[in-house]
Amino acid sequence: MDWKRLDRARRSVGPHELELVESFAQGRISRRDFLRRGTVIGLSAPLMAAVLAACSNEESQAPGPSGSGTGQQGGTIKIATQTPAATLDPIAMQDLGAYGLLAQSFEFLATLGDNGEIAPGLAESWTSNDTRDVWTFQLRQGVKWHDGTDFTSEDVAATMDRLVEAGNSGLKGVIEKGSVDTSDPNVAVITLTGPNLNFPYLVSVFNAQTPITPVAYETGTTLDGSPNGTGPWKLTSYDAATKATFERNPDWWGGQTPLDGQEVQFFDDLGTMVTAMQGNSIDAIVQFQAIGGEGLLNNPDFVVLDIQAATHRQIWMRCDTGQFADKRVRQALALTFDRDAMVQTLFAGKAEVANDHIIPPFAPFFSDTVPQRTKDDEAARQLLADAGFPNGLKAVLHAAKLQEIPDLAQLIQAGAKAAGFDLELQIEGLDTFYGAQWCPAEPADPPCSGAAELGIVDYGHRPTPDVFLNSAFATNGVWNSSQYSSSEFDAAFKTFQESQDAEDQKTACGELERILNEDVPVGVPYFYHYLSGHSNGVQDIRVSALGQMFIEKASFV
Amino acid sequence: MTRYLARRVALSLVTLFLLATLVFVIVNVLPSDPGRRIAGPFAPQETVDALNERLGANDPLLQQYGRLLKNTVTFDFGDSFKYGKPVKSVLFPALARSAKLVFLALLLTVPISILAGIVAARRRNTLADRLIVTVGLASSSIPEFVSGVTLQFLLGVQLGWLPVLALAPSDAGIGTQFKHLLLPALALVAVYFGYIARITRAGAIQALDADYTRTAVMKGLDNRRVLTRHVMRNALQPTVAVVGTQIGYLFSGLIGLELIFAYPGLGSLIVGAAGDKDYPLLEAGVLLVGIIYMICTLLADLLIAWMNPRARLVGEFA
Amino acid sequence: MSVESVDPEILGPAPGPVYDSAAERRLARRERLRLLVRRPGFIVGFLILLFWLVCAIGGDKITPSDPINDFSVSSQSPSAEHLFGTDQLGRDVLSRVMAGARDVLIAAPIAAGVSVALGSLIGIVMGYYRGLIDEVISRFIEAMLSIPVVLIALLIISVLGASRTIVIGTVAVLFTPIVARTVRAATLAEGQLDYVTAARLRGESGLFVMTREILPNISGTILVEFTVRVGYAVFTISTLSFLGAGIQPPSPDWGLTISDTYRLIQAGQWWPTLFPALAIASLVIATNLVADSIDSVRGA
Repeated sequence: MDWKRLDRARRSVGPHELELVESFAQGRISRRDFLRRGTVIGLSAPLMAAVLAACSNEESQAPGPSGSGTGQQGGTIKIATQTPAATLDPIAMQDLGAYGLLAQSFEFLATLGDNGEIAPGLAESWTSNDTRDVWTFQLRQGVKWHDGTDFTSEDVAATMDRLVEAGNSGLKGVIEKGSVDTSDPNVAVITLTGPNLNFPYLVSVFNAQTPITPVAYETGTTLDGSPNGTGPWKLTSYDAATKATFERNPDWWGGQTPLDGQEVQFFDDLGTMVTAMQGNSIDAIVQFQAIGGEGLLNNPDFVVLDIQAATHRQIWMRCDTGQFADKRVRQALALTFDRDAMVQTLFAGKAEVANDHIIPPFAPFFSDTVPQRTKDDEAARQLLADAGFPNGLKAVLHAAKLQEIPDLAQLIQAGAKAAGFDLELQIEGLDTFYGAQWCPAEPADPPCSGAAELGIVDYGHRPTPDVFLNSAFATNGVWNSSQYSSSEFDAAFKTFQESQDAEDQKTACGELERILNEDVPVGVPYFYHYLSGHSNGVQDIRVSALGQMFIEKASFV
Repeated sequence: MTRYLARRVALSLVTLFLLATLVFVIVNVLPSDPGRRIAGPFAPQETVDALNERLGANDPLLQQYGRLLKNTVTFDFGDSFKYGKPVKSVLFPALARSAKLVFLALLLTVPISILAGIVAARRRNTLADRLIVTVGLASSSIPEFVSGVTLQFLLGVQLGWLPVLALAPSDAGIGTQFKHLLLPALALVAVYFGYIARITRAGAIQALDADYTRTAVMKGLDNRRVLTRHVMRNALQPTVAVVGTQIGYLFSGLIGLELIFAYPGLGSLIVGAAGDKDYPLLEAGVLLVGIIYMICTLLADLLIAWMNPRARLVGEFA
Repeated sequence: MSVESVDPEILGPAPGPVYDSAAERRLARRERLRLLVRRPGFIVGFLILLFWLVCAIGGDKITPSDPINDFSVSSQSPSAEHLFGTDQLGRDVLSRVMAGARDVLIAAPIAAGVSVALGSLIGIVMGYYRGLIDEVISRFIEAMLSIPVVLIALLIISVLGASRTIVIGTVAVLFTPIVARTVRAATLAEGQLDYVTAARLRGESGLFVMTREILPNISGTILVEFTVRVGYAVFTISTLSFLGAGIQPPSPDWGLTISDTYRLIQAGQWWPTLFPALAIASLVIATNLVADSIDSVRGA
């Protein structure tokens, strides 16, 4: 330990930053968590490098994208992704296919770092005030749009206003219209409605609808309709049914990309992507599944990018009405899950057991204070009897025909039988399921009121739980299909949002975990890994677990 | 023949009108709020109302029906809700892709199936006959997405003989394009071989047993000429009729095959449009497939009428 | 293959012999039955159907293990313990194929039966009255047949929801126009025969002529049509399951199983798909063997 160096670093930071530095110096948090938290609250890269160096006696690399630089120059890479579900409207898009395409041309204030955390993107650095409700982003200078105009804070302001208007799931209630101060074209000062320690995540690649788009964009403008961007790739063609092509942006602020361009082919089915990869028709695959992807997992010519992610399924149970309104019934169903078997059978082990809340066990803010719920049919039967169902109950379990979900539904059904749940499965196509079971058009606010009393819905990856908590559990949340409404939870969520440092946040998470595990508005049996990858003929590809593949440093070997 | 043709075309137009009416009923049975669909669940109600007004979704049903009939005649359905561009520009590329696959599948299936059918008919109740009929039945009772994925795995991945994706690079020549389409086309051969072979076999047996064949043989014509001039002409009528009715299905029904070969044809497009409640695209797609179906059955009927003049009397219903 | 498939033998129905009295008809029927059981094709087909019938009635009482609730190690290839291997959830494939016969043998014959009943009714009316009624219904049938099959199916299911009853109804609706077309052709051929003309001259009502005179004479066509439709119904239910609109899991229905497992073929796991596919093939072959035998005996 280089104490002198550490002291220098300690003196140069404010009280909240110091708390983080101390946590790391005393070994309470890992190097990775230190980098992650430090980036979020705006510690500068040289400072973090200094702290790391002081604590390990070696020079450490600052976070940020980096390539090995050993590959060839030139070439066009073929990437398989999911067919975009709707138009390439950055504000309105909801699917991984569109996320991935938009992230090629457009950039975020904070981009993806090397270790899965966030790193400076269009913002070179950011800081907040002490109360964490005003965030100042220093914008990168000399950045130009593809059409040649300058990128300024006006663009940031216009983008944020459009996001607020559209009710973005991460930013709803966090900022309001007109919250961005643009008096300096190189600085965007964003005033929040309340404190939020995780705000940089909400304007990063992990809130995929928030790439910065030009002032000239309007609600409904699409990338293919008006191709533009600040990023390394220019859209050259787009056919919604088959593929998109991009060419290098020679004026990109980040320098010259090794590859000349990319061809993104669309697939409606993950299985076909695996076949295409096995048949050498493509170079990289945005996502695949462990079951059915055995041919890739065990292939020496294929590089697996295996990301521990917060991707999960929620088995929602209506808390406001019906047979599951009594929380003992919900607890009983959660007690019938054989979580270990699910992880093995559905994911060949590439998943983590979850505990009926949405804080993943590998997250830095996870608190291990809540005992893991394990299968106990006797206890489940007893709870059911106490809740007034001594002879069990009958219910319909709704689910979409998507990836492993029909199989999960069958495991839940079979596992719940012994405890007295007689579940009938209703597996439907995606349109019917989302339209009629999970998110009916009426009532419009909240638009997703969960028509069914019991169902399984899929959630993508988010590095912080804000979006999950805000949308799925907060009273009147936009994805609150269980119609959960708990003042205790809402208060704990507020505490979480207002927490000032990593320790506070962990404590707040412990409380959230306890409440969700106790109330069980949703059962969460597992978090599964996001699997992506490429052939060993290419290198330096990074992925975000949200369908975004970053290839600005990538090259053919 | 001209009178028959005129009558047949007139009847097709009546059918087309009925089809447009059915489509109108279908679209209005589906829960419908196109404005909400386009603007998304979070848009304010005023935006949705304005959109619905602009799209004419609030017009009286009769007026909407009239508009659909007009669109059917001009084949101009405006912009697709989902893709935000003219329906035609979405529909026609998919039609072209489907057409290529259907063409190749028929090119491979029809000759070999007819040959097998005639062989089976001429060697009735031999081992060859039984084999053709049984293998044909077995392979045609397995859905095309299963045979497709099997062929893809064996010939594409394991042996590496054929490309596993049906879509060729955009600059590919016609040869490369067909090479890419070979695997899905082979899957269709598996499904249709047995069917068409059996139809041909039955038709050929009837023709071989018929009086005119016996007469021809007694007249002393050699076997080959009997087969081509008399038997084929009569035997192939059911085959022509069946192939004609199946083409419409090939254009619109191969959703599974299109999915596993990542080949977005008309079938996936129409099913997707129904799921997305993209009514302009849905209406145009269904009518297009209907028109293809009618043209194919019409051509089949004309071919049959040419092969067998008697059919012209009752033949409007092949 | 589409549901529009038309069996060759019934495109042009063989004109049956004309019978003078009920007694003669009964006699002829007995004679045909005797001919039938002599045909090896009929015997083989009949035995296969009988086997599936036993499986359907026995259900999970005769399967080696519980086809729905018995989870062993998943995705095991065929072995002495699991002759057909285990599926992606670890259930015994052999047990599921056997138990699946029940779902298939309930759904397919009912769907085929309903469509044949409805289609025959419509077809006879069209063929008997001809003229305007025939023209109008013909156009409607033609229009219906030109709508993509999957669209009709998805429409019905998106409006009414997915359940076994709905699936059976959907398949019946899809098949009805095709059956009607076939039966119409058969009726047209009968309508020109003397006995129908005679009945008309006697002043019999249309209903009487259709049910007492024509129906018995085209019953062979209808029977063949029924057996053919049973085969296609299995196939169609499988396609509906593929679209997420079919019979619901965890039913061991063959079509559903195929559509749920075909993706595993590319990972080298062929057994959960192959065995139910062979089961469907055996059922289709068996029904066709029986149908062909009945048809040739009828024409004899």
